[in-house]
Amino acid sequence: MHPLLLLLLATAHGLDKLSYKPTLVGGNVEGRMTGSTFVLEQPRCVFDSYSTANIWLVVATREGMDAFNDSAQPGMPEWSFQRFPTNTSAYLTLGAMQYHYGCPKPDRELTVLRVGSETDCADNISVPNCNGPLPGPGPYWVKFLALNGSEPTATTEWSGPITLKTAREPQSIPGTGGARSGAMIAITAILSVLLAILLAALLATLCSSEACGVGSFRPDAASIRRYNTHHVYDQPAARL
Amino acid sequence: MAKTDNGIRICQGLLILGNVVIGMCGIALTAECIFFVSDPHGLYPLLEATENNDIYAAAWIGIFVGFALLALSILGIVGVMKSSKTLLLVYIILMLITYAFEMASCITAATHRDFLTPNLFLKQMLERYMKSDTDNNNDKQMTEGVTKTWDNLMLQCCGVHGPLDWQEYTSAFRMTHNDADYPWPHNCCVMNTRSEPINLDGCKLGVPGFYNSNGCYDAISGPLNRQAWGVAWFGFAILCWTFCVLLGTMFYWSRIAY
Repeated sequence: MHPLLLLLLATAHGLDKLSYKPTLVGGNVEGRMTGSTFVLEQPRCVFDSYSTANIWLVVATREGMDAFNDSAQPGMPEWSFQRFPTNTSAYLTLGAMQYHYGCPKPDRELTVLRVGSETDCADNISVPNCNGPLPGPGPYWVKFLALNGSEPTATTEWSGPITLKTAREPQSIPGTGGARSGAMIAITAILSVLLAILLAALLATLCSSEACGVGSFRPDAASIRRYNTHHVYDQPAARL
Repeated sequence: MAKTDNGIRICQGLLILGNVVIGMCGIALTAECIFFVSDPHGLYPLLEATENNDIYAAAWIGIFVGFALLALSILGIVGVMKSSKTLLLVYIILMLITYAFEMASCITAATHRDFLTPNLFLKQMLERYMKSDTDNNNDKQMTEGVTKTWDNLMLQCCGVHGPLDWQEYTSAFRMTHNDADYPWPHNCCVMNTRSEPINLDGCKLGVPGFYNSNGCYDAISGPLNRQAWGVAWFGFAILCWTFCVLLGTMFYWSRIAY
């Protein structure tokens, strides 16, 4: 009974329900969702038959979506951005004349609507339709509403839930230290071994000469020494 | 006798050649390390802020080791030509000390290069870039260094992995710049000749062509890796050659007659 009554009321007021569902812009736009903004495709070729209407965007929470009354007026404080979401569960913003969304969509232009881009009017209650940054991660639902003067003439479907990014603390970034690489281990190991060999060779060289050995053990050195001694004795003998 | 004489001559020749090579490598090492210490890419403030700038310490040691190698190689050549036991003993001992220092430099460069991970720079960027409430003078200096370096880097890239680093994490930058106007710093936008973004809305939306979409990790790690591996591997090569020359010198020293 109730839905039938609502439907009758809607058609009595001339409100058309369009089957268009607002969508986020495609993936190559990297800023499509930030912590407080999101980017929608423009409703091109949707409101063609409502050439005198103003197209408004309705942004709502879950409660707002369920309770939204299509006879909302953009200037009213009940639907103002500044009271969202604590005192109101939906607001209207981004109002534009229908000719801005003309058909066909221009080929190489990016036709988007950035929700949340106006920061200077966010606290200004004299601008109730401010497109201010969204106050939390959501989720939010949006739809377009066409108003002819103060009468709603058409509305689209509600979009799917849009949940914005929540930023993490930098302290949560995991381990900033690195693992030991193979190259570093190789360098350390090889150089240590080489240094050890050098020190051992130095000790061996010093000890094989007069420093710590009990005389020389190598026959070569002994033979050179004997040869020199022999020469020294020879000279004075020759002179004599 | 003639055979031993020839043998000695060959030994001397090889040792002199070895020392000449060591001298030239010493000059090259000094030049390379001076180049690294002069920081042509301007990345030193990033390392200073991580308090992990030991690859610069390794380069400084390399400068002095290079000079030492040059001086000692000349001493070695003189000692070999004069066949003087004293000179060669001094040469061997000083060379071992230089060897130890150069070994320290190589190992330091290689070890500390392993610390330079993307997460290290990410954390530092988020915590220090445009930080407004600095605790003391040291903190302020480090913050200014990091900010200036990142502003320079962001002419060609954004964030460490990409611009979304600024979205995924809160940061000191986010404290003073709101998310709607600055999804990422405006320095990430493609600039015209007057250092203004060519299309600020395009940059904020993230439309390709109006902002830098690649991450800066390659631009940071590339030069730092080249520096670390340049010091470490070139030093390693010099030390291997020096090892051979020192063994030969010790052998020659033990054969010298009084």
